[in-house]
Amino acid sequence: MKKTIAYLSLLFILGVLLYVANPNYGLKFGPGGDDWKNLRYTDDYYITHGVQEVGGTNIVTDIVFDYRGYDTIGEATVLFTAIAGAVALLRPWRGDEE
Amino acid sequence: MRPRCGTDMGLIVKTSARAIIPLIGIFGTYIVAHGHLTPGGGFQGGATIAGAGILFLVAFGLNEMRKHYNKHLYSALEGLGGLVFLGAAMLGIGTAFFYNTLWHNGPIFNGKPGTLLSAGFLPIMNLAVGLKVFTGLVSALVAIAMYRRWRS
Repeated sequence: MKKTIAYLSLLFILGVLLYVANPNYGLKFGPGGDDWKNLRYTDDYYITHGVQEVGGTNIVTDIVFDYRGYDTIGEATVLFTAIAGAVALLRPWRGDEE
Repeated sequence: MRPRCGTDMGLIVKTSARAIIPLIGIFGTYIVAHGHLTPGGGFQGGATIAGAGILFLVAFGLNEMRKHYNKHLYSALEGLGGLVFLGAAMLGIGTAFFYNTLWHNGPIFNGKPGTLLSAGFLPIMNLAVGLKVFTGLVSALVAIAMYRRWRS
């Protein structure tokens, strides 16, 4: 009984996902078409100007290290803090010797 | 029979790891060095090289890792990576923070786009971030393996 309900609910979720993901009558994300290009102009900007302005042919690296450099600084700081916290928590504590 | 703390794995695993670890390291270094040309970059390549170090730790055991792991060297290298990253960002401080002055009017790293010595501070930053991620992840895994708090 429980298994039947589980399989039926999985089937229901699959059907809902298939309906939602259908481009004809499902959910629409954004306006689409040329309106999309007018609203999301940064995508086009990076692709057309990235190589000339930053020099790397890998546009993702151009964005991550140049256009969004502050974000990368924060990411490196988060990594440093996480490792410092892990080492500080895991090192032997006082009165820990058995 | 469960493996005890600090012991290595079997002969087959150790021989395979001995053959595979240099290849993983070379592949990770390639990802870091070509970060501005091909998919990948500092974070991804550093994590790949750290995978080689973690494979060494798993295959050869903690006692062998203790001999090859120098805490002071690794923490110094991680700090150096972060400082080189910030220094490369500071190069163009005359215009703005994170201004790519090496690419626009610098003496080096301003070749044609698509060559290895191009893209200004991007290769320097990739190397710095790769060094930082590699040493940081290896330090974290060695700390987890060395200072574990559960009883086996």
